Amino acid sequence: MLDIQNVTKVFGKDTVNEHTALDDLSLHLDKGEFVTIVGSNGAGKSTLFNAICGTFFSDSGHISLDGADITYMPEHKRSKMIGRVFQDPMKGTSPNLTIEENIALAYARSKHGPLGFALNKRDLKIFRDALADFDMGLEDRMKTKVGLLSGGQRQVVTLLMCTVVPPKLLLLDEHTAALDPATSEKIMKITNDMIRKNNLTTLMITHNINSALKTGTRTIMMDSGSIILDISGEERDKMSLNELLDLYTRRSKKVFDNDRMLLGTE
Amino acid sequence: MVLILGSLELGMIYGLLALGIFITFRILNIPDLTCEGSFTLGLSLSAALTRVGHPFLGMIAGIIGGMAAGGVTGFLQTRCKIHPILAGILVMSGLYPINLLILGGSPNLAIMNSGTIFKYAGAFLGNEGAKIAVSLIFTGITTIALAMFFKTHTGLAIRATGDNEDMVRASSINADGMKAAALSIGNGVIALCGAVIAQYQNYADINSGAGTLVLGLASVIIGEVIIFRRDLTLSLIAAVVGSIVYRFIIALAMKLPFFDASYLKLVSAVIVAVALSIPAIKARARLARIKKEGGRYA
Repeated sequence: MLDIQNVTKVFGKDTVNEHTALDDLSLHLDKGEFVTIVGSNGAGKSTLFNAICGTFFSDSGHISLDGADITYMPEHKRSKMIGRVFQDPMKGTSPNLTIEENIALAYARSKHGPLGFALNKRDLKIFRDALADFDMGLEDRMKTKVGLLSGGQRQVVTLLMCTVVPPKLLLLDEHTAALDPATSEKIMKITNDMIRKNNLTTLMITHNINSALKTGTRTIMMDSGSIILDISGEERDKMSLNELLDLYTRRSKKVFDNDRMLLGTE
Repeated sequence: MVLILGSLELGMIYGLLALGIFITFRILNIPDLTCEGSFTLGLSLSAALTRVGHPFLGMIAGIIGGMAAGGVTGFLQTRCKIHPILAGILVMSGLYPINLLILGGSPNLAIMNSGTIFKYAGAFLGNEGAKIAVSLIFTGITTIALAMFFKTHTGLAIRATGDNEDMVRASSINADGMKAAALSIGNGVIALCGAVIAQYQNYADINSGAGTLVLGLASVIIGEVIIFRRDLTLSLIAAVVGSIVYRFIIALAMKLPFFDASYLKLVSAVIVAVALSIPAIKARARLARIKKEGGRYA
């Protein structure tokens, strides 16, 4: 489904600040795989997402999605196939548009063409039913401006916007990290349900190693722009938190120094 | 009576300008100076074509000219990454000689003896009736068309672009294209305003565009005070209402013995400056209040 081959990205090339963010990285995802990504700050996790989304073009290597080469495809064209949820709840929605307008923005173009009316009764019913599934009372507030919602509610709207037309690839960039623990758990559950229901191919960055091992079907660990660990299946099911940290220390020759990851507070 | 009718007519026509400014300033969040050039472009095209007997073509040419000017500004902003304000200034400056050329090389052009739309309509409705009707039709149709457009998918995408550009980019919408489209539509409407004004006042002047941004902004802001904006359609209507109210205020002010027409720009500038600083003033007042109450219990 997603195929990344030998992608390298160097920032500030030939300057004192030269930094290799992605180092000859290769990764292959099959359809329906749900991969969690862990790694300390600066490991290149978000850079990997940016490369997949086309925020920049990679210096070398190839990226293809569902058989099509997207290495040099402009950002707005690939985003047709890719849904992305950011850590910052403010980033994924338009505050001055209502809930229904935000969702319609993600949904209606594929339906009615650029000059079709964005809101119609049948679509609104689809949005309403989808929102009702989340059980957060948002279905009764469809005409509320999104700017008035809480962070958790905004993330739910963003998630729905990303999946209302199922994307070929879903990218979750620590999308629950800015929320309080209870809300975070709820959003994580909604995310899991959504991914399972639509059988979405998903990459999820998380700072919570525990949830990295528990959610999804495969876990990769990144360090200095490379993948240093890739586990799935039985090996992953049996892996404990301590074993994973041991592996990290051995492979990256560094001690895990991120409290947030160790304590599992997300 | 003349004062009331005159203000109403001018208010409705300049309502078009307010609509255009609303699109660029309130929806896109860009103070777009292109309008000073595109207004005059519409005015010049309309006057020049009316003079050779094509008043309707003049209106259409005005709209197209304005849209092209806005499109160039959009191109400079998005593709060439030129600062939005500078991009507007460049197009405004560049349009000056073009407008002069359209006016036949002289800084103004009178079309007293040519058949304008107002004169054609006057044959059926009488002079005053025609002025009211024509202004109402142009502004009314434009308002309705814009209200409908901003409910379409593209319209929604334009509103979201002004609101949260990152999100628009991430949802497979060409944010640059949306910006250019909005600038193009906004300036098209502003140029239409110029085109109608030329036929209304029967002459065109190369300097008519000066100050249109502030004038349009003043109308938009007055409208927002009168009709608290809840949704976009109401906001569009508010811009037109604001323009009409503004014209009444001006007409009354002109009755004062010491008021000179040249003060208008100062008055508009003050209205805009005060209105835009209200949020900052409120924030300061709130801080001062907290400080005062805190001091009481210290």
